Amino acid sequence: MRTSHSVRQRPSVNMAGVGFRRWAQALCRGNGSGISALVSGCRAASGVSKGSLPGPYPTTPEEKAAAAKKYNMTVEDYEPYPNKGEGYGDYPNLPERSQHERDPWYQWDHPDLRRNWGEPIHWDFDMYIRNRVDTSPSPVSWSSMCKQLFGFIGFMLFMFYLGEKFPSYQPVAAKQYPYNDLYLEKGGDPEKEPEEVKHYEI
Amino acid sequence: MADYQEAPLATRPKTLDPNEYFSVSLEQRRSEQSRAALRANLKRQYQMQLNNPLRRELIEDPALTRWVYARTHTYPHFNATSKTSLLGAMFGVAPLFILYYVFKTDRDRKEGQIKAGTVERKFCMSS
Repeated sequence: MRTSHSVRQRPSVNMAGVGFRRWAQALCRGNGSGISALVSGCRAASGVSKGSLPGPYPTTPEEKAAAAKKYNMTVEDYEPYPNKGEGYGDYPNLPERSQHERDPWYQWDHPDLRRNWGEPIHWDFDMYIRNRVDTSPSPVSWSSMCKQLFGFIGFMLFMFYLGEKFPSYQPVAAKQYPYNDLYLEKGGDPEKEPEEVKHYEI
Repeated sequence: MADYQEAPLATRPKTLDPNEYFSVSLEQRRSEQSRAALRANLKRQYQMQLNNPLRRELIEDPALTRWVYARTHTYPHFNATSKTSLLGAMFGVAPLFILYYVFKTDRDRKEGQIKAGTVERKFCMSS
């Protein structure tokens, strides 16, 4: 889309373009004075036009065809979300597939997103990027995965419960000291004979 | 190639899908052709902009603009049906009241315990 403002982006100045730009600016400023001069009816033609933005739910087949063309899809592929007032409008209902499932070897325009320029974006695209939700097929079935995980967790919980109920430790006894239970060290009388303390049995 | 097994987390490539060869009708081929034509046109537009030596600005993606616009401008297409009202009430209104009551009763109970002196406050520095 080229307007008079494209002059700014080229290295060489197009004299006719500069003249047109000044004329357009003068036209916008021409009517009224003060604030009303700035709030003019002049709008740049660059950027998206209103016809290319999402709109309300399409009811007639012509609207559906126009919406399919707008979103760069074929008419049989284009399917809007059901009109249940959830705020989707005419946005297409694309299949719920994560970007993980797309071909890693194809030359995508944006390789990290596995997406081409201009391709219609899924409503939940930011959920389906390669860092997040993955809908690709799992190595084993869901029931098998559930059984393995909950089986392991259940078994471990059960064993820990049994361990709490029936504790088993190394056998321990009170510490045994030599020299008649350390009679002299504990402040016993050296003259007196201490009683014999035997820690063994033969 | 008849015993090809795809890698555990990969989907089967299209060229090895038996449905591609055995049960394809003319309409399917035609629709695939039109899809490929659209895709090729978009690719061409992108490449023309990408390799333009006089381009100095970012390449704007209209699909991205539409996506962002659709996600932010949902209110004009909103209708208050039973389902949407129920969801709004469940996620927007009920948590306010439920959380208020939960926190209030818990705090009041704690305050009562502190006043009665039954709870041991290990880290309280103010008393």
